[in-house]
Amino acid sequence: MNITKNFYRIINWFFDKPKFFGSIVFTTLSFLFIYIAFQNYKISKEDKKTEMTNTLNVISKNIEQLLKNSYTTTLTLALTINDEGIPQDFDLIAKQLLESNNSISAVELVPNGVIKYIYPLEENKAALNLDILNAELFKKEALKSIKTKKIYFAGPFELTQGGQGIVGRLPIFVKNKFWGFSAVVISLDKLLKTSGIQSIKKENFYFQLSKVNPNTGKEVFYLPESIKPEKNNYVKRYIPDGDWNLYIIDKDSNALLKLFLIKILISILVAFTIGYFMFMLLEKPKELKYLIQSQAKKLIKTELKFKAIFDQAAIGIVNVDAETKKIIDVNERFCNLLGYTVDEMREMNFQEITHPDDIEKSLKNVESIKKGITDEYTFEKRYLSKEGKIIWANLTITRFEKNDNSEATTLIALIQDITELKKNKGLIINSQQRIESLINTIDGIVWECDARTFEFSFISKKVENILGYTAEEWLSNKTFWQDHIYIEDKNETIDFCLNRTRASLDHDFEYRMVAKDGRIVWLRDIVNVVTENNKPSKLRGIMINITKTKEIENDLNNSFDLVTTQNKRLLNFSYIVSHNLRSHTSNISSLIELIETTEDEHERNEMIGLLKTVSNSLNETLTNLNEVVNIQTNIGLITEKINLKSYIKKSLKIFEEQIKLNEVIVNNLVSDDVEIIYNPAYLESILYNIISNAIRYRKKDIKSNISIKCYNENNEKVIEIADNGIGIDLEKNSDKIFGMYKTFSSHNESRGLGLFITKSQIDAMGGKITVESEPNVGTIFKIFI
Amino acid sequence: MMNKKLIWIVDDDSIFKIIIKKLIAKFENFENVLTFSNGEEACRAFKETLDTKQKLPDVILLDIEMPIMDGWEFMNQFNILKDDFKDQQVDVFILSSSITIEDKLRAKNNPNIKGYITKPISLTDIEKIIS
Repeated sequence: MNITKNFYRIINWFFDKPKFFGSIVFTTLSFLFIYIAFQNYKISKEDKKTEMTNTLNVISKNIEQLLKNSYTTTLTLALTINDEGIPQDFDLIAKQLLESNNSISAVELVPNGVIKYIYPLEENKAALNLDILNAELFKKEALKSIKTKKIYFAGPFELTQGGQGIVGRLPIFVKNKFWGFSAVVISLDKLLKTSGIQSIKKENFYFQLSKVNPNTGKEVFYLPESIKPEKNNYVKRYIPDGDWNLYIIDKDSNALLKLFLIKILISILVAFTIGYFMFMLLEKPKELKYLIQSQAKKLIKTELKFKAIFDQAAIGIVNVDAETKKIIDVNERFCNLLGYTVDEMREMNFQEITHPDDIEKSLKNVESIKKGITDEYTFEKRYLSKEGKIIWANLTITRFEKNDNSEATTLIALIQDITELKKNKGLIINSQQRIESLINTIDGIVWECDARTFEFSFISKKVENILGYTAEEWLSNKTFWQDHIYIEDKNETIDFCLNRTRASLDHDFEYRMVAKDGRIVWLRDIVNVVTENNKPSKLRGIMINITKTKEIENDLNNSFDLVTTQNKRLLNFSYIVSHNLRSHTSNISSLIELIETTEDEHERNEMIGLLKTVSNSLNETLTNLNEVVNIQTNIGLITEKINLKSYIKKSLKIFEEQIKLNEVIVNNLVSDDVEIIYNPAYLESILYNIISNAIRYRKKDIKSNISIKCYNENNEKVIEIADNGIGIDLEKNSDKIFGMYKTFSSHNESRGLGLFITKSQIDAMGGKITVESEPNVGTIFKIFI
Repeated sequence: MMNKKLIWIVDDDSIFKIIIKKLIAKFENFENVLTFSNGEEACRAFKETLDTKQKLPDVILLDIEMPIMDGWEFMNQFNILKDDFKDQQVDVFILSSSITIEDKLRAKNNPNIKGYITKPISLTDIEKIIS
């Protein structure tokens, strides 16, 4: 256990240090590879040396064999010498010897150091009679062989008879006395051929043959190879019979070293690659490990955060098992809400905390979430706290975890306490209802609209009572209000409202609107401007139906006008009465004064006559006044149905004579069937006065024309009497024309009473009279019945 | 000996015209009395007098209520003509049976009107006018 743990710890330690580990791998492998290469190099070197030695052995053996054969040859040749020191059958034996040993080029016998016998003679004639012992070139070696009494191979050197070669000389002693030499000549070529040097592959090696020159003491190399034996690139064999050194020289002695170096290089590279690979191999897990660690940290942080959110959230959060309905996890908020501890809650299922009336609904919703019918369910339900209090909550359930059948296994419920809200909502609804019923009971249309567009956002139900439109109709059209203002009031009303609103001034104004059934309804609109940031944003107001008031006002105005005119007329009347009566009485008093003061009988009688006239005038005036008073007090006003046309005819009869006399044309254009209800006496008087005026004020220079019509104007019956008489200047006299005692001409029949009475009579019948006139054109009287 | 004065009576009441003539006749100061039935007649006569450079009246006794042209309208015309007779003094007195305050105020506010006399006119009144 402990070992494993330690092992893992070490492994981990390594895994944590990929650079270090990579370096170690690199170093170790480098050393290992270099070691192997070195060993390899050593073995190769050894092998090469062995191979060289072996080759050299073979060569040297071949040479030694040749030398032995040469020795045998010289010995055999020496045996031809008889006791007298004369060779016997030299040529014959030499021939045989050469034939048996083809390595040898020639054989010689050199008595006393002078070459006397030589075979084959022809090729070697040049060497005949050469005194070796006296020749500087050969002397030392010849003497050496005499000294050692052994065969000694001299050369290689340039042979006297030509070509390079060696000469093996055997000193011959006859009777213990030096006789001369028995010698063999071997050409260098033959020597090399026999030795096998030439037959051995020279790919890797060179051979070299050297000898210390006895004369100069310097080593002389005989083979024309460029590479000299150096330090370790050769193997040498000493051949004592000729004092030769035979070398085998490595052609490329550095090849192995180079190979070794290359191998080292490759080793390092391979080691580095493997080390780097290891580093990479470990670096990745390390990175991953760090990534995992940082992710884990993040996760922990996030989880802590979420845990904090979960616990400190302003809403209750519960994780519930979808199957058992058990509470898996719950946050503090929810626990506090219901008064349980977290641990208590975890022991419970949600039915236990749900209000009994809401359990069924909750279960149904949970089931539909569980089966995936919906992803989310939001509804209101009641919980029961530990103390048994009802807690209203807004609940949102969502799926949390699923199984393979994509059925929810656990659910998350978000619970918001809305108890207070519910309570407030109830209050708000109550107060809203109260306000609404209050608004709807107000005997006026309560409304609200945008201050710029006049688009209504609210209008109370009263609108239906007053104008016939439903609130929906009104609100569905953005310009409903503007569109339904009575055309005559529209522009003025909208302009007024716009101006006041712009100035942020509350306003109170009256206008007419067209109701749904076409009625025209007078409204008084009392408007409040609601401002936001000092700018009018909304208008609120109340429209009150003032149609009745308006009608009454109109009536009142009419009555007022009537009373005013009547008052004026009355005043005028009283003024006229007083004036007229006074003028008569003042005349009377003046006359009486004159009568009293005069002494002239004639004059007095004259005054009394005048007094009589005044008295009559006074009487007449009083009669007139009485007539007028009677009309104005409506005394004895009886109405009956009158055929207008026939009545006009009857009235015209009074003027028959005058009409004839003055050649006046009267056109009675009234149709036969026109009947009016009127006081006959008044009608007679009215017709009499107007027609008589028309005749009286005719123009003398043209044919007078009077026409009488009857028609309807504005639902009123109008009798029109038009003439082409002298006319009246209405600009000056419009206020006087129907006045009492007003006459406009110096006509002696003018009394200034006719039109006054006429107007009084028409007024008394509830009608009116108008006049249109132009001087010198004519006059039109219109009597509205 | 006082200068005899020219006096114009403008009134539509024929009886009154007779009476006033009788009353004036009791004074010897007036050379002549001319009567007119309404404002228009008087106005026309006034213009003629001006045009023909005859003697203008020293006194005009003017009624208010008259047909065709009443006393007020006459005063308007009088005011227009006023510049034509700067060197001559014409005293206008209103002589009316009207006792309404409006007429009296109107007369008082007209600088061309010298006085307001309510009918019946007494000898004393005539005496005042003449003096």
